[in-house]
Amino acid sequence: MGEFLQYVINGLALGAIYSLVALGLVVIYRGTGHLNFAQGEMALFATFGAWWIYDRGVTMWFAVIIATVFAFIGGAVIEFGLMRPAGKKSPLAVVVVSIALFQGMNSLTNLVFKESSDGVTFQSLFPNEPLDFYRLSGETIWRFQDLGILVTVLILTGGLFLLFQKTKVGLAMRMVANNPDSAKLVGVSTNKTLMLSWGIAAALGAVAGAMIGGLNANLNIFTMFEIFLLSSAAATLGGLDSPLGALVGGLLLGVIKSLVSNYPKDWAGSGYVNATTAVAAAFVIILIVLVVRPSGLFGSSRVERV
Amino acid sequence: MTVPFTIQQNSPQHWAARTGAVAVLFAGIYYVYLTATTATLQSVTEATIIAIAAVALNLLLGFNGQISIGHSAFAGIASFVTGYTVSQWDWNPYQSLILSVVVCFGVGFLVGLPALRLKGPYLALVTLAVAFVWPTIAAQFLEKKIDDTKLAGLRLDPPGWTGLEGNRADRAIYMYWLGLLLLLVAYIVVRNLRKSRIGRSLVAVRDNETAAAVMGVNLRLTKTITFGISAAIAGMAGWLFAAISDTIIPRNFLILQAIIYLLALFLGGPATYTGPIVGAFTYFFVDRYIRQNVPDWTFLPAIVQGGAIAPLLLSIVVIAFVFVAPFGLVGFFKTQGRRFMNVAPQPLSDPATARLQQHTSAATAAESE
Repeated sequence: MGEFLQYVINGLALGAIYSLVALGLVVIYRGTGHLNFAQGEMALFATFGAWWIYDRGVTMWFAVIIATVFAFIGGAVIEFGLMRPAGKKSPLAVVVVSIALFQGMNSLTNLVFKESSDGVTFQSLFPNEPLDFYRLSGETIWRFQDLGILVTVLILTGGLFLLFQKTKVGLAMRMVANNPDSAKLVGVSTNKTLMLSWGIAAALGAVAGAMIGGLNANLNIFTMFEIFLLSSAAATLGGLDSPLGALVGGLLLGVIKSLVSNYPKDWAGSGYVNATTAVAAAFVIILIVLVVRPSGLFGSSRVERV
Repeated sequence: MTVPFTIQQNSPQHWAARTGAVAVLFAGIYYVYLTATTATLQSVTEATIIAIAAVALNLLLGFNGQISIGHSAFAGIASFVTGYTVSQWDWNPYQSLILSVVVCFGVGFLVGLPALRLKGPYLALVTLAVAFVWPTIAAQFLEKKIDDTKLAGLRLDPPGWTGLEGNRADRAIYMYWLGLLLLLVAYIVVRNLRKSRIGRSLVAVRDNETAAAVMGVNLRLTKTITFGISAAIAGMAGWLFAAISDTIIPRNFLILQAIIYLLALFLGGPATYTGPIVGAFTYFFVDRYIRQNVPDWTFLPAIVQGGAIAPLLLSIVVIAFVFVAPFGLVGFFKTQGRRFMNVAPQPLSDPATARLQQHTSAATAAESE
């Protein structure tokens, strides 16, 4: 039982990071109806930026905050400079641009930060000495880092919830998500709202990147790819237009992954299960969920009027 | 804008132009065969693999409107099936071509089943999952079954009747022709399929599912069969890969490959017959050129030195294409070509429609007077 709880706790920290990237995907999907394939790689660039700033001799928190601000601006600029003109061409153009951006951001990171191909050591945002943990009971411990990640993500999600539900900007974002034409008619600037959505998504990605870097104590050019895959899986599992779905989906996926890869060490005596197949198992579970509920756990299904 | 030159569709002139184009194309292929070095022939074959996969993707995405980021998995499965049957069971390589195409059709059909309920990004995710899951399964399978991480490739020797020998140069020549033959087969399958009744229903499903269903198109069958055929064609690409490779590992076909197929398709122009082929060859050779030459361009600032500039430049090219030539290279050439020569569509032969057409053209004539 203690072991089980430990795996759940570890999974929650990882899942919280998936949730954060998934939230970014959801914010963009609600505004534009497109999956942002470059979400992970945009975060990769920002996280390497954070590492670079930290390397100049400031604290990690400060570096991440600076990188997040720049990521916010960068996201808005990408929306303004690339996605919006592409959207005017055709829906397919948006998909192509975001796939090309996925490849482009990755190689840009590789170009600008030469160290990225070998990987760099990444300082955690939270106290992470061997003895930095709470003992829950017996062998079960909750590391400060895991706890810190979970709390940060919950705070950010709560903040986003308040932004969506309680502010005028949030109302505008929900209107654009719901019906862009009507939103325009009542004087909401869809352009500004979409720029804001992209900025928020990129900023969330930067924070998530810093946290996964700290969790792995390492950051390299491939780090964000798997995170993006699993986060998009989490967002899809929860329903692409539901922020709550992204949170629940991410946490669920993190826990599933942690349990499958750790708990039954030798599933059915075959030795078929390890960390890599755990990801595969997570995908199979999502596949089943999607076949039963095509728009995810919390997503709303769109009814098309003929 | 005045059109300088108009010819009727299917008129003798049109046929002559088309025959001429095909003749020039074949002459070019033959010229490459005569003059190219072994290394060039081999890289043409490598580009052909991407081209076949892009043709497969075009059928699914361009004509049927279903996105797939999982075509690397289909090609990978085919290369795996081929490598396994040939190296472990001593099969004839051409028999395993048939088997791998059939297996890919089956897997594609199965992947197409959830596609019946899922749309857009949700479908993209399912195919992404397939692309992600298959290499791990294949790696595990290899480890358990033959206690190895890789399979031996075919290194296919030319059969006796070609008069070619089993050395490296002759093998490259044989694979050059074989690859282009497979590409031709893929092209003809997709083209004929598109021009048939099935092809019209494919496009109808893409444009408006509800309307297609109302007109009597069987949505389930159309979508799953298209997925299957597309996967089967991608399987041919996988077999070709196995045929030219020394070793086959599951990591040969990662998601990055599927992304390359997508970029190649968009570069060439989706929903055109030649688009994916043009796109794949352009992508492959531009990529190669940049990879080989940019490190030598010392006039560039130090920051862009190194291999990573190639994927960056390519993605910039692709993004630029979205704005400059949204219908890809082929679409761009078509629009430019129309400035010089216009192909007028053939009048319809069906009497009722012909009458209607006469009527409308008379009305337009009256209006313009």
